[in-house]
Amino acid sequence: MKVANHPSETPPTAFRARDLSRRYGQKWALAHLDLTAVPGEVVLVAGPNGSGKTTFLRLLAGLLRPTAGELELFGKNLASDPFGWRRNVSLLSHASYLYEPLTALETVRLWARLLGRSTAEPDLRARLREVGLEQDGDNLVSGFSAGMQKRLTFARVRLEDSALVLLDEPFAALDTAGQELVTDWIAADRKAGKTVVIASHNLERAAPIADRAVLLARGQMTWQGAARDLPNVLARAS
Amino acid sequence: MSELRSQTLTLLAKDLRLEWRAKARLVAVGVFGLLSLVVFSIAVGPDSKALTAGAAGFLVIALLLSSTLALAESFRIEHERRALEGILLLPVRPGAVFYSKAIANTLSLAMLAPGLSLFGVVLYGVELQPANVVSFFTIWGLAAAGLSAPGTLYAAMTAQLRSRDVLLPLLLFPLVVPVLMASCKALALALTGDPMGQMRSWALLLLCFDLIYWSLGGILFPFVIEEG
Repeated sequence: MKVANHPSETPPTAFRARDLSRRYGQKWALAHLDLTAVPGEVVLVAGPNGSGKTTFLRLLAGLLRPTAGELELFGKNLASDPFGWRRNVSLLSHASYLYEPLTALETVRLWARLLGRSTAEPDLRARLREVGLEQDGDNLVSGFSAGMQKRLTFARVRLEDSALVLLDEPFAALDTAGQELVTDWIAADRKAGKTVVIASHNLERAAPIADRAVLLARGQMTWQGAARDLPNVLARAS
Repeated sequence: MSELRSQTLTLLAKDLRLEWRAKARLVAVGVFGLLSLVVFSIAVGPDSKALTAGAAGFLVIALLLSSTLALAESFRIEHERRALEGILLLPVRPGAVFYSKAIANTLSLAMLAPGLSLFGVVLYGVELQPANVVSFFTIWGLAAAGLSAPGTLYAAMTAQLRSRDVLLPLLLFPLVVPVLMASCKALALALTGDPMGQMRSWALLLLCFDLIYWSLGGILFPFVIEEG
């Protein structure tokens, strides 16, 4: 697992967002967010469309720079080392990040090479087996369904083995078996000491596996607490 | 440095594979270049002396026009599924993305050389001396490299814009004027003879522009692709 060294005098936080804000043009997508997570914690970020969930995950992934505020990952500021930042983060996004003219095996080989992992064919096929695509390694990604593409994208997240795993709608497009597989991976990641941040509308799936939940609305954090309490909070709010 | 090289080679293999699987696009770019040569010959008319004298320039302009198509297309697939963002989420140096794409674009444009030059020889009545064949294709390769580096940079910059097809040539053409001038002069000498031994100087000038463009491209590319 890719884990950065913690300076001995600081507490072991995975990430720390302080007064984190992000603006697109004149619109604030995220405003004054303060949030900290520790290694081994699963944080659920919930909220309606446009509440800032994806923006928060993209900021954590280092794909966006904050308009204001600070973001630290394992004690290091994003601005100090944006390249090193990405070594510690995996992001499963709305977009599949796939090249449709490549086969699944070629795709995994490309990721493995860039990550310095084994590119031996049995190892690559094992990666595909892990996500349930062992029969589809030689097929072009262009012929994959949305669910199969999602599974292949998960192969990248599993291959990266990062200390901070960011999952944006991880259950979308997946069948029940796929959703259970993802649930098992998240549980395994937590056990391995990784920090997992899930942004999802599927609270039925996501809330039971999360330790803590954060509720966003129009870019502001409106509530945070134990994930098991989230359904009641939402029920009261509606 | 070795990390940059190994990442560039890995991404180059991917880019060449993508180019190969989109062969129809490469053929279309080549046909576009051939049609440009035909249009130039029609525009000049049956004056064989004028056609021969302008052959090098026509070939370079055909290469330039073809390059705008090839370069714009090279980044389309990177944004289709936000694949480029996926690559940049891995610990990949942005310079590796630039150099792999620029090399792949150079190779694509260099591949147009045999078809366009053969067509040019027949259409414009020029005689490429066997002794100058190597020089001709070397200069063509340098011209392709000189167009590819700034073209790759601008293609990345404009790939997500609606008006990318208009913007790319608008940005690219003024910047590559030195490459066009040097390659026109050097190719003309390769085609019509080089009694004063000037071709080497023009080729060296072209190489200098290539080195500047490729160095600057690697430095500027991270700023171009950053979302901010």
